[in-house]
Amino acid sequence: MRMVISDISNLSIQKDDELKASNDSEILRHCIGCFGCWVKTPGECVIKDSYMNMGEQLAKSEELILISKFTYGGVSPFVKNVLDRSIPYISPNFRIVNNEMHHKRRYDNTLKISAYFYGMDISEKEKVMARGLIHSQVFNFHGKVNEICFFKTVTEVKEALS
Amino acid sequence: MNIAFINGSPKRKDSASGALLADLKQLIPSEHLIKEFNLNKDFITEKDIEALHNCSVWVFAFPLYVDSIPSHLLSCFCQLEQTEFNRNNIYVYGLVNCGFYEGEQTQYAMSMMEIWCDKVGLNWGMGVGFGGGGGLAQMKSIPLGKGPKKTLGKSLAVCADAISKGISIDNVYTSINLPRFVYKFFAESTWKKSIKANGGKVKDLNKKL
Repeated sequence: MRMVISDISNLSIQKDDELKASNDSEILRHCIGCFGCWVKTPGECVIKDSYMNMGEQLAKSEELILISKFTYGGVSPFVKNVLDRSIPYISPNFRIVNNEMHHKRRYDNTLKISAYFYGMDISEKEKVMARGLIHSQVFNFHGKVNEICFFKTVTEVKEALS
Repeated sequence: MNIAFINGSPKRKDSASGALLADLKQLIPSEHLIKEFNLNKDFITEKDIEALHNCSVWVFAFPLYVDSIPSHLLSCFCQLEQTEFNRNNIYVYGLVNCGFYEGEQTQYAMSMMEIWCDKVGLNWGMGVGFGGGGGLAQMKSIPLGKGPKKTLGKSLAVCADAISKGISIDNVYTSINLPRFVYKFFAESTWKKSIKANGGKVKDLNKKL
């Protein structure tokens, strides 16, 4: 399965894709920092909505695609909200790797992760920063970076995906 | 000078961000007036925006979420970008804590704040990235500058000095003053105690659904 998290409305996706999009009628509640997804209902968010099973859904996915308005060097609030609600995908326990502390994996799959940013006037410095951030986020999700692309408009993103 | 202390944790109480702001507060000279705000929702009220505009220094404290800014606070940043106000001479400082040991892991959140300041027309003052923040809320009784909060005390003193002078300086990254293996042991012990307290088993910390 391929999971697509997008803040673009009316996005055409492949038949088998799982789409999490900001044009859903449901209001996405944000992570409240309770760690319930680690110590109360392990692997599942305690907020009972259609995003409570993000960990399990990512575990069943082979690929994750983030489509987002470029926002201060990272993803937009909607896409970030879904990522924040996805921490049940990883274990609360720690590992030391590259002389840094990171979380251990909960699941065995390795997500292939892409990020498609859109926005006008994204500077080269901002692109470097965003690439670094995505690599860091992918590392913490135990994934592999597939591609990180920058577009000027939503139309260009849709064309690239078609 | 009016200084806004903005707690950006989604937690309503006992947040590490609140503990950091309380520690910093001790170091701000008494002639300055500190106004406190809680941004634990994905929007800022008109009343808070009005009050923020009357402060020439904004100090944000928040936890690191997935290597960057928590989504609800990011929404607030977007809202502030769209708001009309006199942006001249407002300095922004950031206190970012993370559960990992290395404060350097907050660097991307700090860079995002710098970019946000640039877009909005605010002056980036500096940031303090603190690693090992998981235990901060439980260390309120430990004096700043002592024991596990020894280097945090030095870093916050640098930040308080920059705030008082209204200047921009390099970001500072620091960690809890405990060996990393000790911090890791205590942090993982906390997860074990918490899951047991909730009626679960330790092995379920890694449960697959």
